[in-house]
Amino acid sequence: MARVRLDTVRKVYPNGFEAVHGASFEVQDGEFVVFVGPSGCGKSTLLRMIAGLEEITSGTLHIGDRVVNDLAPKDRDVAMVFQNYALYPHLTVYDNMAFGLKIRKFPKAEIDERVREAARILGVEQVLDRKPKLLSGGQRQRVAVGRAIVRKPEVFLFDEPLSNLDAKLRVQMRTEISRLHSQLGATMIYVTHDQVEAMTMGDRIVVLKDGEVQQIDTPLHLYDHPANQFVAGFIGSPAMNFLSGRIDGSGDALSFVADETALSVPLGASDASLLRAHAGQAITLGIRPEDLYVAGPTAPNGSATSRWTLDVVEPMGNEIVLYVSSGPHTAVARVAPQPIPEPGTDTDIDLALDTSKLHFFDQETEAALTETPTADLA
Amino acid sequence: MAKPNSTNLGGMIWAYAVLAVFAFISVYPITRIITVSLRPGDRLLSTSLDFIPDGATLDNYRVLLFETPFLRWLFNSLLVSVVVTITGVALASTAGYALSRYKFRGRNSMLGGLLITQMFPATMLLLPLYVVLINLRLLDSYLGLVVIYSATALPFCVWQMKGYYDTIPPALEEAARIDGCTPWQAFYRVIFPLAAPALVITALFSFMTAWNEYVVANVVLQDTAMFTLPLGLKMFQNDMSTQWGLYAAGALLVSIPVVGLFLILSRYLISGLTLGAVKG
Amino acid sequence: MLEGKTTTAGLKVQQRTAAQSKTREARQRTLFLWGLLGPTVLIVLAVVAYPFVYNVVLSLSNMNIYHIRDWEVIGLQQYASVLTEPAVWVVFFKTVVWTLVNIVFHVGLGVWLAVILNKAFIVGKPAWRVLLILPWALPQYITALTWRGMFNYEYGAINLIGGVFGMDSIAWLTSPFEAFVAVILTNIWLGFPFMMVVALGGLQSIPGELYEAADVDGASEWTKFWKITAPLLRPVMIPAITLGIVWTFNNINVVWLVSNGGEPNDQTHILVSYVYEAAFSMYRFGWAAALSMVIFGILFLFTQVFLKKTNATEAAY
Repeated sequence: MARVRLDTVRKVYPNGFEAVHGASFEVQDGEFVVFVGPSGCGKSTLLRMIAGLEEITSGTLHIGDRVVNDLAPKDRDVAMVFQNYALYPHLTVYDNMAFGLKIRKFPKAEIDERVREAARILGVEQVLDRKPKLLSGGQRQRVAVGRAIVRKPEVFLFDEPLSNLDAKLRVQMRTEISRLHSQLGATMIYVTHDQVEAMTMGDRIVVLKDGEVQQIDTPLHLYDHPANQFVAGFIGSPAMNFLSGRIDGSGDALSFVADETALSVPLGASDASLLRAHAGQAITLGIRPEDLYVAGPTAPNGSATSRWTLDVVEPMGNEIVLYVSSGPHTAVARVAPQPIPEPGTDTDIDLALDTSKLHFFDQETEAALTETPTADLA
Repeated sequence: MAKPNSTNLGGMIWAYAVLAVFAFISVYPITRIITVSLRPGDRLLSTSLDFIPDGATLDNYRVLLFETPFLRWLFNSLLVSVVVTITGVALASTAGYALSRYKFRGRNSMLGGLLITQMFPATMLLLPLYVVLINLRLLDSYLGLVVIYSATALPFCVWQMKGYYDTIPPALEEAARIDGCTPWQAFYRVIFPLAAPALVITALFSFMTAWNEYVVANVVLQDTAMFTLPLGLKMFQNDMSTQWGLYAAGALLVSIPVVGLFLILSRYLISGLTLGAVKG
Repeated sequence: MLEGKTTTAGLKVQQRTAAQSKTREARQRTLFLWGLLGPTVLIVLAVVAYPFVYNVVLSLSNMNIYHIRDWEVIGLQQYASVLTEPAVWVVFFKTVVWTLVNIVFHVGLGVWLAVILNKAFIVGKPAWRVLLILPWALPQYITALTWRGMFNYEYGAINLIGGVFGMDSIAWLTSPFEAFVAVILTNIWLGFPFMMVVALGGLQSIPGELYEAADVDGASEWTKFWKITAPLLRPVMIPAITLGIVWTFNNINVVWLVSNGGEPNDQTHILVSYVYEAAFSMYRFGWAAALSMVIFGILFLFTQVFLKKTNATEAAY
């Protein structure tokens, strides 16, 4: 197994489009790292450069102790699972899995042993003689994974492998891949646009946008301490609420005042000390839906209450999702099941904001203003 | 599915009538060949329209096979056609692959150039080649013929192959390359086998180009022993009074294998042609 | 090689490795590409491009039976001679008629039969298709020679069948007009299956809901054909028609073999058979080369204009 290290790796296409702007980070030996971002953010390009399917325009890429910029895919000792599985339609499941080993001239007995073991792990022993055409989506997915694991490569690469499966199967395969990772202890890099997959599977997540790495962190730290407004909005569902406004007051008695409404949130001591320098400036407040409560006894201590118009109510059973608005602002709240008034233009509701869970972002740079630095990992 | 009672009976009868008439027109000339080939030697010039002629005999076939150079011509034609087919498949499958998968400078002009060759009148290439062959004293050789046939069949075949490769997802080669293949191995171990339907069409087209060609052969080959089948059959037909029966017997023997192949493969032909045309 | 250094080295070294890797990968890619393309390019250059250039030279020369080795370039005289020879213009006119009539019938019959064959109620489609494709499957020279036999005045099937219906025998192969009709009939016979097959492929890709929607709107068969079938077949048919026109314009086989080299009296010619005769029967090499160039010029101009007018280039590339 091996670590993967990128040093200012860039990808510029012949037409001048820069798909990846100087990415630098290291994937540890045995780590499961997820690249996540909206489509066109460069996550697949980055993965394909690691695989050797795209040329690296500049920068260096290490796999293990080798610089592999110059090596063909076959010499990089990586295996990849593709979005559409890319199973060889003219070969049986067995031959699909054995293909890479045959090309590498492994002895027949060892090929057979490895293929059968992989088939057993993945539960596709019954279909070894079939052509891919006759398999279900889930089976194809397993065979594609099997083709990767028989090779016992240094690094596994996954390019949105679950996006063609239905929701139920997706959840199932998600846990299976996670289990596989802990069984094999291999280095895995996984690309997805689905932040739920990223959160549930990754040891660490690399968030990308417009070819730039936004943040690299563990899922929970990423969730609690997003480095900027994009990460904050992308990770988590429903997404974080953002309110634009400014910092008012002086000394320790600072508060956030939202634009064009009476909404005002007093700041806690730690936030206040960090934001003092920004007093009077335009700023964005972020708060996650679960950090909003219906005002009353269930609201946590030290929360700030404000009045909103209740637009839509979605009872989910285990929780209720409220869509509220106030002047130009809208917000989503996830609250515990409780009696909620009928929504409508005249229905007002008082919501409490947990002031210990506030996030603040610079309106120009969108950078987070109150987050602690990225957690130390290694 | 249309509901059966939504189409009126008259329309159905009309449709079947049209099909029947055209099917008859399509088949009739072939039945004439069969009829004439079965006529005994003294009754070739008959005004009868019967399908099975009076005194039907296989005598023409016997004479054709044992008393004329027919088998020799058959061998010549097979030789030329097989070499052209192998060349055509080898060249079109690789060139089509390059044109489908790689973007390089001159790609579009290359594709356009191949189309333009279809506009050359036969004589435009034949005349200079004829002059060259005279000067090289290469008349009456198969080399010239094979090269000319291959080059004539190539443009269409390359387009056909390119159109088919375009429908095969590139992820398959990528998977193969990560599995350990060189670009060449990825091509011939994964993509080449998958292109089988297009390869079959390419092979058929190349084979038929050579098997059915008359005009070029007529210029290049002058020795009767070197003749390919089209030249040989034309020779029978020149003198209608005596060898019309031999011509018909020969025509039938020559046609059966290619017509058979063509009909078996016609299913591929429909998808192949439209793929080439639409997705080209 | 550079591995040890690059791990610790600064940006400069890294950039150099990147640049080197680019040239090496690019070199390998180029090598592979030419390995694939090379043989085809070579053979096409040798058999198509070189003769093309040589043909241009010949068209500017006086090469003929008297000057087969001591020929020289004499300028545009052959072109002048081609364009001022009245017979060339007559043959040109015949070629245009030949092409138009053939294509109209090929496309008309082909689409018509395809539409019928595509109807849901037709039973035994594969069998009908096989029967209707036969003329295409049969080797062209055999078609031509067989039809020549069927056009025979005394013993040919056409006159015999005509006789059954009380028609007078027609001197198909010995009078100029009838001979021309005979070659056209032969070529229509062998050409319609190609268009039918292309149209069938196109029809299969038209979604059935379109017709159902039209049925709901109460459209007639005729309206459905012109409003749905024809426009949706267009992208498939235009390239096929373009190819068909070029092939028909250049189809020497049928004309040459049915008319036995232009009989009667060199009246049955289209441009390519005329050139063929000039070159290989009369050995007017320079003159024939010039006429070949003219034919190519006509077709090239035609396809450019036709494809542009029909906006079919995106389908062709």
